[in-house]
Amino acid sequence: MKRISIIGSGNVGTNTAFFIAETRTADVLLVDIKDGIAAGKALDLMEAGPVRGYATSIRGTVKIDDIAGSDVVIIAAGVTRKPGQQREDVYRENAPIVRAIAQDIRRLAPGAVVINVVEPIDLLTLLVQETLGVDRSKVMGVGGLLSSTRIRFLVSKALGVSPREVTGLIIGPHHPSMVFLKDTIRVSGIPAEALLGEARLRELIEEARNAGDAILKLAQRSSSFYASCAATAALVEAIVCNTKALLPVSVRCEGEYGIKGLAIGVPAYIGESGVTGIVELKLSTADRKAFDEAAAALRTAHDNINAGVA
Amino acid sequence: MSKNKVSIIGAGNVGATATYYIAEKVIADLVMVDIAGGMTQAKAVDFLHAGPLRGYDVSISIVGTSDFAQIADSNVVVITAGLPRKPGMDRMDLLKVNAGIVKQAARAIVEHAPNAIVIVVSNPLDIMCHVALRSTGFDLRHVVGMAGILDSTRFRYFVAEQLGCALSSVHAMVLGGHGDQMVPLPRLTTVSGVPITELMDAATIARLVDRTRKGGAEIVSLLKTGSAYYAPAASVADMVEAVITDRKHLAPCAAYLRGEYGIDDLFIGVPTILGKNGVERIIELELLEDERTLLRASADAVRKGVEELNTFFKPT
Repeated sequence: MKRISIIGSGNVGTNTAFFIAETRTADVLLVDIKDGIAAGKALDLMEAGPVRGYATSIRGTVKIDDIAGSDVVIIAAGVTRKPGQQREDVYRENAPIVRAIAQDIRRLAPGAVVINVVEPIDLLTLLVQETLGVDRSKVMGVGGLLSSTRIRFLVSKALGVSPREVTGLIIGPHHPSMVFLKDTIRVSGIPAEALLGEARLRELIEEARNAGDAILKLAQRSSSFYASCAATAALVEAIVCNTKALLPVSVRCEGEYGIKGLAIGVPAYIGESGVTGIVELKLSTADRKAFDEAAAALRTAHDNINAGVA
Repeated sequence: MSKNKVSIIGAGNVGATATYYIAEKVIADLVMVDIAGGMTQAKAVDFLHAGPLRGYDVSISIVGTSDFAQIADSNVVVITAGLPRKPGMDRMDLLKVNAGIVKQAARAIVEHAPNAIVIVVSNPLDIMCHVALRSTGFDLRHVVGMAGILDSTRFRYFVAEQLGCALSSVHAMVLGGHGDQMVPLPRLTTVSGVPITELMDAATIARLVDRTRKGGAEIVSLLKTGSAYYAPAASVADMVEAVITDRKHLAPCAAYLRGEYGIDDLFIGVPTILGKNGVERIIELELLEDERTLLRASADAVRKGVEELNTFFKPT
């Protein structure tokens, strides 16, 4: 059985453990620096096992050293974005935490595939990859897949069809400037635009783009996490079962889509060794322009951080 | 919630395996009906014995019988009964024999399960759908044929195998009659929404399309004395699930057309939305010229079969 370590046992970490347990694909270790919290949540999850039908092991620990030898490590520690916060602000809070965790992973589980769920996704995914000093294929960030599941849901709801056959890819930064690739939003292969009309699809895309903020507003004190946990668990399943699913993830590009030295959302095949291939699609003129602008803003944020401006 | 009930007429390989797949979904009580009553009963009991290990032990019942009355009040009835084509058998003979079997099943459905959604699996599929619709006199949307889901699951598998990617990322659309003249649509066949036309060259796609067209024959040539049943049964289970759980599943099925795609009074594979009311919607796609030509040729072949049949059977 593959071993998955999740660092951070907040809502994201714990519910990711829960979704992974339900897929019965791997053993999970929850790590949290707060004494007892990971152990308590892990025990609660194990006690649900007989009813839910999973028998995979879920353990909790305060000792980071326990992640040694993990096949996959998920970084889910740090603060969530508050309304109005910019990428750079969140980066300043989360970067030290994530860097320290990456150093631990480098020491303890250097062969692991690492999934970053901490915002700002693209900038921190790059930081993790650079801190680990591993091949870029080993590190991915959960970004586009979350927005993808949201647009898939919204399209299925608007059409009154089952979401299982709805697809949709997103490229660009995990940020409101992300680019929804309209032609990939389909139901059983049929373009959603043909079924919904151009205007309605555009509305749904805007809704998906702002879904995170909408949930933040509804839930007040809590940000969204079920969908991001589902996205993270889907990546874990693709890795553990070596499925080579084509999923949108944040990964360091080296020339793909005209990007060098930045992690950004692109469609990639995900398997046992991490990102096994990046698919470069022909973009429409409008998508190309939107992508380039979003990437340029991400580049600026990255450069500002590096120059110590932010 | 009242309990759902699904009956499968014909407990051969397709019928029995479909029963097994549906049982694993734990969504309905199951009845298998076959003229070979003992064999059918045996299969049902055998399934029940596997229940404790497979997790459907007391929640659903599985009955095997030769008594059609047992299908009473089914929500869904699947007709899989029919002979496979044997070497030397004339196509028309097969048509006549199977039409007789489907007719008999249809009469039983009218008598015992008049509100059922009928899923036809017997071959030649599109023509047997016609027989089932006429013989039951049911609502046009309550009779649907299993073909497109099977053809597209094969196409999906071939695409995933070729690209070395996850089956779950691949979706496919195959229209037309079930047979050599099916119409696979590569531009609507995608990996996570990306058309395969962007991921493979034309020659590769042509090869996969051809393999899909001959998907059934490929299995027959390997088995020598039988034909495929796992993928067909999985396709049946998918359709049954869509109806029982009202999933609103957009998938290609053989549906009765009345002018859609310029085709009238004929069953043929088109994109449908499957839910508790059977074919709840037919999606009319804008087809390219060559696709339309292929679909029309496919429809012509089905129409010819229906007309041949009409010379032997008066419509009821």
